[in-house]
Amino acid sequence: MILDLALIAMIAAVLIPLYTAWKTGDIWQTMLAFSSISTKTAVIILLVSVLRDDWMIGVAGVIILSVGNAGLMLLAQIIKRIEKL
Amino acid sequence: MISLIKLVSYVCIGVGIWFWFWGTLSLLNGRSVLFKLHTLSVGDTLGSILIIFGLLLLRPQEFPLLILAIISLTVWNTMLGYVIAYSSTSDEYDQVIEETLIEESLGRSGRESYE
Repeated sequence: MILDLALIAMIAAVLIPLYTAWKTGDIWQTMLAFSSISTKTAVIILLVSVLRDDWMIGVAGVIILSVGNAGLMLLAQIIKRIEKL
Repeated sequence: MISLIKLVSYVCIGVGIWFWFWGTLSLLNGRSVLFKLHTLSVGDTLGSILIIFGLLLLRPQEFPLLILAIISLTVWNTMLGYVIAYSSTSDEYDQVIEETLIEESLGRSGRESYE
């Protein structure tokens, strides 16, 4: 029961960067919001795997975390160079 | 009767979620990108580590998996925060360097004319 409430609160916490990513026009604020969304969803996946005691879901969450935000880092470098053109 | 370990884990998860909201709500105000990046990466990293530590207390048999999650979360979130900070401000940083170089070259040429 308590973990279900925690899950609802975490999903509510993910909605804030989703709203920011939708509202803002600045590319760097959007990148901030996306990095926050990716971290939060990975931790939510881990919580769901504890709730269901299904550790294949847990492995997926850990893979997301260990791959990390590599894609976002490369995208940041590309955006930086595009801004210089 | 909730056991002590469950109580500690629920407290860790609760504090972690509070850190999440604290870090994320700063996205809504009109501060600079770096300010938001700082509070966001602190809130996200610290909050997530506390939540995963709370989960670890609930499922100690999954110790290696959750420790790997904590380590990679710590490394990658910090690294991403640095990359975004560097990429989003590199233009101003380059301008500052150019200005200081110009001043130095002017300063040196002025001194040579005196000697």
